[in-house]
Amino acid sequence: MQSEIKLTPTEFLAVTNQNLEYAFSGVTLEGEVVSFKINQGKWVFFDVKDAGSSVSCFMTLFQLRMPLKDGMKVTVRGVPKVTKWGKFSFTVTAVMPVGEGSLKKSYELLKKKLTNEGLFNVERKRPLPGDLTRLGVVSSVDAAGYADFVKILNARWGGIDVQVAHTQVQGMDAPDQIIRALKYFNERSEVQVIAILRGGGSADDLACFNDEELVRTIAASKIPIITGIGHEVDESLADLAADVRASTPSNAAEMLTPDKRSIKITVNDSVLRVKNVVLNKIESASREKVEKMNQLSRDIKGRIDNYASGLEQKLKILEALNPEGILKQGYAILTGKIFPGDVVKITTYKQEIKAEIKEVYER
Amino acid sequence: MSDKMSLKQKIELLDDKIEWFYSDEFDLAKAEEKYKESTELAKEIEKDLSELKNKIEVLAEDFSK
Repeated sequence: MQSEIKLTPTEFLAVTNQNLEYAFSGVTLEGEVVSFKINQGKWVFFDVKDAGSSVSCFMTLFQLRMPLKDGMKVTVRGVPKVTKWGKFSFTVTAVMPVGEGSLKKSYELLKKKLTNEGLFNVERKRPLPGDLTRLGVVSSVDAAGYADFVKILNARWGGIDVQVAHTQVQGMDAPDQIIRALKYFNERSEVQVIAILRGGGSADDLACFNDEELVRTIAASKIPIITGIGHEVDESLADLAADVRASTPSNAAEMLTPDKRSIKITVNDSVLRVKNVVLNKIESASREKVEKMNQLSRDIKGRIDNYASGLEQKLKILEALNPEGILKQGYAILTGKIFPGDVVKITTYKQEIKAEIKEVYER
Repeated sequence: MSDKMSLKQKIELLDDKIEWFYSDEFDLAKAEEKYKESTELAKEIEKDLSELKNKIEVLAEDFSK
């Protein structure tokens, strides 16, 4: 016969709770939230139910990282416990909405709250450094998104010291791990930018990036943060709080680095263009010289022509003044004294005549 | 001269050299020498770019705790 165990209520509850914790450590419930309420601004109470049963849940407001409302579908992680008043309760350590509808509702509620606080204001955004040499990455090294990022980063640029904080990027533990990684980088201040990366996934997979504490940690980071989470269409609250949002991890690598292939092309093109510039300048200088020579030649010719034309005029004048010309026109030159009885010489174009002066009188 | 310069400094230097060809300071007598310098610097930049490698280190820190 089994011996009877006598325990005080306190001892009984302690043993019971010990057994419950041992049997259900890390149990997760999934169901719908009902009777959600917050007491004294500190304690959160709600039930998680399915079609047949309901479990009372309890947690601190501090642990509630995403807004909850009655009717939301959630995953709840915690430990079953019997309180000192003998009431069964599920002490929640983490809760996350699941399913598209609940996630969307929770997202909208938190977005509104944080927008009102100014967490997503454009004035808060800082630019990425132009000369990146030290980069912090927060991602899962096993994720495809991380591999894409590394591939594009290495193809585009080099000389960067990349420190990778390996964390989960989905699930209930992901937000705290990412927060720790962000704090790690911020405490050391060794990197110029932090990139939070995760490839595409379902709304449930990406839900961890809508965690309130994570979003606040991103907004409070001393080091600029770029996010590359999911695909173009996936917009998380982490994206909104980050300084720069890339549409994907690959896009984050593109935004962080210049492309060395295009720099090579630009460098070579600029040198080639210079070659053409020099050739054009040589051609232009040579054209200028030829033009100057032509102008000089035209000037000299003009001066010679002017001189020749002047000379011709003078020749014509000389020609006109030539006595032979005058004689040719029928005039004659008379030489000698012109007194009656004197003999004078008369020169015509063809003849020389001696004649005697008969009479001299005034005209 | 450019051995001790960073890649960024080399690219900036090349930009300056290229700009000279388009500036009023351009002198045909010096153009050949300047062009030669620019070509050599461009080759150096291309070589530096080809040799650039990233150093990726996964931190030993355990962020799950």
